[in-house]
Amino acid sequence: MGKIRGCELPDDLYYYAEKHIWAKPMGGSLIRVGMNTVAGKLSGGKLNAVTVRTKNIGAEIPAGKSVATVESSKYVGPVPAPVTGILKRANEKLAADPNLAITDPYGEGWIVELEAAAWETDKARLLSGPEGMAAYQAKLEADNISCE
Amino acid sequence: MDADKIVIMMTSGPDTPRRCATPFFMATLAAAMDYDVTMFFTIDGTLLLKKGLAKTIFPKAGGKSVEEFLNEALEAGVKMTACTASIELHGLAAGDLIDGVKMVGGASFWQMSEEAKNVISF
Repeated sequence: MGKIRGCELPDDLYYYAEKHIWAKPMGGSLIRVGMNTVAGKLSGGKLNAVTVRTKNIGAEIPAGKSVATVESSKYVGPVPAPVTGILKRANEKLAADPNLAITDPYGEGWIVELEAAAWETDKARLLSGPEGMAAYQAKLEADNISCE
Repeated sequence: MDADKIVIMMTSGPDTPRRCATPFFMATLAAAMDYDVTMFFTIDGTLLLKKGLAKTIFPKAGGKSVEEFLNEALEAGVKMTACTASIELHGLAAGDLIDGVKMVGGASFWQMSEEAKNVISF
């Protein structure tokens, strides 16, 4: 697992670095989405709620638009779709324990799954691989963000 | 598809600090859910928009100031409007308010309400 400025960032994922969101192809065009450890750090470390609008299930969400919201005592904000796609389902485990999105961000704490409209082309806008991780590191340095 | 609109009428002000966090929090949350959110400040709510005042008001002792809640809402894209009659009530001029606030008449509130999916008042 990759680590940048103390933030665990697996190098097999795709990152929407502006909002610190990860995306992972699950087979076919299904993409799993969650917050990464940088987002967890910025949110203050304890989430009170992760909410997906029910009316959005089954709807196409354009890249950058909100698929969920997260709330902590320090932060409230959107979880934007990293790529355009139909919102298939929300992680029901987060209703009982929203903080899973921070404590196990790449495992049980995933947030939604999307049926990507054009993953093969849209993924080019996300950071991945050695070059992408170098760019992510530069962003965290520029923004003075560290998980240590 | 246009985003659903929400209007939040804010009447609470500096005399009731504990009523001055949630309205901004709910506005920020709605904006994060991609609602098109407008706050309409009237009665004592308008005072919260007076330059420099919000940073002196703390809904919870030792917690965030109203200014921080207000700025989070602005950064999330919440639009701020203030009732012209209410600034007269407090002897203020439009220039006394923070940047980015649009002055509107009372009828604008009804216009916004008519177009909104939901209207709530604090």
